[in-house]
Amino acid sequence: MEEEKLKYFEKYREIIRDFDKFLKKLKTPQPYWFRVNTLKIQEEKLIERLETKGFRVEKFGGINAYRILEMPVKHPGATVEYSLGYYYIQDLSSMAPVLALDPQPGERILDMAAAPGSKSTMIAELMNNSGTIVANDISVDRIKSLAANIERLGITNIIVTKKDARNANFDGKFDKILLDAPCSGEGTFRKNPWGFQGADEKGHSILGRQQKMMLRNAVRHLSDGGIIVYSTCTYSPIENESVVKYGVENLNLKVLKIDLPIPHLEGVKEWDGEKYEMYEKCIRIYPHLVDTGGMFIAVLAKQ
Amino acid sequence: MQFLQNNSYRIYFIERFGIPEYVLNTYTFWERGRKVWAFSGELWDINGVEVFGIKALTKGRDLKPSTAFLRIVGKYAKKNVIFLDDNNALAFLRGRELNIDYPADGGYVVVRRKDDVLGCGFYVKKEKRLISLIPSKYRLQETWV
Repeated sequence: MEEEKLKYFEKYREIIRDFDKFLKKLKTPQPYWFRVNTLKIQEEKLIERLETKGFRVEKFGGINAYRILEMPVKHPGATVEYSLGYYYIQDLSSMAPVLALDPQPGERILDMAAAPGSKSTMIAELMNNSGTIVANDISVDRIKSLAANIERLGITNIIVTKKDARNANFDGKFDKILLDAPCSGEGTFRKNPWGFQGADEKGHSILGRQQKMMLRNAVRHLSDGGIIVYSTCTYSPIENESVVKYGVENLNLKVLKIDLPIPHLEGVKEWDGEKYEMYEKCIRIYPHLVDTGGMFIAVLAKQ
Repeated sequence: MQFLQNNSYRIYFIERFGIPEYVLNTYTFWERGRKVWAFSGELWDINGVEVFGIKALTKGRDLKPSTAFLRIVGKYAKKNVIFLDDNNALAFLRGRELNIDYPADGGYVVVRRKDDVLGCGFYVKKEKRLISLIPSKYRLQETWV
């Protein structure tokens, strides 16, 4: 079954560096990563408690992110500490867009497609619960999971709205906007290879059109001097570089080069006859770099 | 339904739990229906709001504090706090009722285990019973560690 499913990714052989390593990694299950919720507990205290219970974890760089190497329970959330909101199960790649956003206390931030809240709650943590985050999602069920995570983590500076990110009015301008757009989810393959569906050419194209509409709406809500972080958890250039190119050519945006403390590669230079001049400033995280899921990120500002 | 600001709810937490005013001044309080929400952000006039900060209280015959908000401000409480040992803490988090004699007033209490604020309980003083008000979504399963 897996081999059959892996054939899906052959279409990216020419654009993913070390493609065979990439494929090999897709065959292995994705490890669990978590983020310590420093709003509620000191990092060292939580790690000591988890290790006492039989967890073996590995810290990543200078971030409050840990990879779980061994655990005494089937699911990493089956602990008292999880229930108390001391940590959030979140892939390292999913922390990257928030690090690119670099939220600061007191800022006004919009998270346009926020549920289930891994990134919104991380933004709130970095802002120390000050300033304001508008966390939006279109789905009632997904908003319920977002609200539950906000409660569990003790986040108090988030306003949750239920709007269509493609055209909704968020009643004001924001210093920073995270558009972690709904996508074909190719980067989550390792989490659930059995349920993976991906998308065909038409599917990527439909998603790409919606993502462009969302980006256009994001620009409408951006303060002068502000930034938009555009991200997806998919590999298709149609949903990534092509959307960024649209922003540069039609929405008067420019792509900013940023430092990201998570290993990554640059964007795709060309796909299906379309050239992407700004590809060097785009960021792609692949599973074979640090044993994570996949992620695309671009930081955009008004020209 | 609109959220209406009413910061007088700070008084409840000051009087019932002795939480210092400066802690509560971090939050503005907002009513909508029977719920009162605490919010630490800057005010923002926006339509279509589903959630405003965190649920702090439910209005009824008495005001009932939420476990979620007590887990944030409960560490500052100076009265009506019940500390549990490890075994009782696990039972409380599983939603069980405890028989316990504790120097706290009857009514809603902050329940702790060392540094952990476990959440909201209801202490029936005459019967020396502590009822767990941990919402089912936070309750520990038997297999959890």
